[in-house]
Amino acid sequence: MSANPLLKIDGLSVYYGKFRALLDVSIDVGEGEIVSIIGANGAGKSSLLKAIVGQVPKVEGDIRFEGQSLVGRGTPDIVKQGVALVPEGRRLFPSLTVEENRTLGWETGRRGGMSREDIYGFFPVLKERRNQPANQLSGGQQQMVAFGRALLADPKLLLCDEISLGLAPVIIDELYKILPDIRDRGVSILLIEQDIGRSLAVADRFYCMLEGKVNLSGKPDEVSRDDVIKSYFGGHE
Amino acid sequence: MTGVWVNQIVQGILLGGLYAMFALGLSLSAGVMRFINIAHGDLIVLVCFLVLTLTTSLGLSPLVAAAITLPVVFAGGYLLQRLLLQRVLGQHVLPVILVTFGLSIIIQNALQGTYGADTRKVQGGVIEYATIHVAGEINVGVLPLVIFVSAILMVWLLDRLLYRTRIGARIRAVSDDVAAANLIGLPSPHIFALAMGFVGVTIAISAGFMSVWTNFDPTSGPSRLLIAFEAVVLGGLGSLWGTLIGGIILGVAQAVGGQFDAAWQVLAGHIVFLIIFALRPQGLFPRY
Repeated sequence: MSANPLLKIDGLSVYYGKFRALLDVSIDVGEGEIVSIIGANGAGKSSLLKAIVGQVPKVEGDIRFEGQSLVGRGTPDIVKQGVALVPEGRRLFPSLTVEENRTLGWETGRRGGMSREDIYGFFPVLKERRNQPANQLSGGQQQMVAFGRALLADPKLLLCDEISLGLAPVIIDELYKILPDIRDRGVSILLIEQDIGRSLAVADRFYCMLEGKVNLSGKPDEVSRDDVIKSYFGGHE
Repeated sequence: MTGVWVNQIVQGILLGGLYAMFALGLSLSAGVMRFINIAHGDLIVLVCFLVLTLTTSLGLSPLVAAAITLPVVFAGGYLLQRLLLQRVLGQHVLPVILVTFGLSIIIQNALQGTYGADTRKVQGGVIEYATIHVAGEINVGVLPLVIFVSAILMVWLLDRLLYRTRIGARIRAVSDDVAAANLIGLPSPHIFALAMGFVGVTIAISAGFMSVWTNFDPTSGPSRLLIAFEAVVLGGLGSLWGTLIGGIILGVAQAVGGQFDAAWQVLAGHIVFLIIFALRPQGLFPRY
């Protein structure tokens, strides 16, 4: 990892009213890296992503992207800076067509990078369904649209929140196969998952979270599977 | 004798154009943005008084006065949404209803305080009385015909705006799921406010026509709201063309009911609404 990572999160705490969802979390993502955050439900993973894109009410600590602080800035501004999110549950707009959904990504993001055709290259099935309402697609196809929407924003950092949730294993395999291709296009990826196996297989580095804190981090092949499982479920000490 | 009835139906269809105009803005706010604006009718009446002031005190023609109100009401709609309605939107359905209900009361009382309770009308000049003889007992007023054609044009333009343009896609996106829109970086308060600006434009146009065609007083708003609501619900939520058909059905029902007995005019519209609503609660052409 370089001395000046693309994303540097330092001592981040996130509050919802009095409830503290994240406590003193520090995470880096370097350029060209796939970093995975694993953790059970309620570990604070989604709060971390929401904090990065500026969608939590109150944070402490610092989030720096290319050296500039993202704290206190609006989401449209952060997306323009080069951060795009594939939200949990896909969150497509049901009354918009596939093409309209994707175009929103292009409008909100930076300009340049991958073209619409590039993204149809990743997901050829979307091209024939481009004029259908998004809610008529299967779950896997909707996830592809969500990916396409985020990629059209030409991000330098792609945030993926639980992309395997509710999808068939064959489809999940297909989506995970694409991640290294996306990275090879110069997009760093921060991946959030409950599925330890898949997530660690694709990641360069990982962080494990439990109850709002990072309790283990490293490279997947340097940490024993037992340690990961213990950290994941909180069996330490 | 049949000529009289055919004539009433024709008059009803033309009246339906005005009703559809009232309802078009509500169709956008209730059907697409999915919140209920109780002050919709009062906003129309407020703009009618604005047109009245511009024509009487500055001596402008109604057409010029209405043209002046367009940008004013667009900006007013934008600011109303951005500064007031946006604060309560998305929490629950009730706060928006309460806020717009309060707005309705404020507008009615402010108008009464400023203009008094008298019934008013804007003088439209020769166009008010011009008619075209079609056949037999059927005569068509030029003003109602212009209003009807304008209503169709407005539906067509608004439909294209919503379903064929980028700002339209954005309006539908923030209406579908505002939290998701925020997550991907859409400036949702600005988009909602623009949509309300477009609602304002429909309000300004319908108020311009209404102020010349019918009488109005500071308390006319709620009855306009009721008709607009019925047209939107009859047509089906989210369908602008449905709203036009809904307005026409109400107009025809009123005209035909009024031919039986003048006292039946308004009631006939409500009864037809209730019958169709009971048979088809989702409306004729629901989009969602």
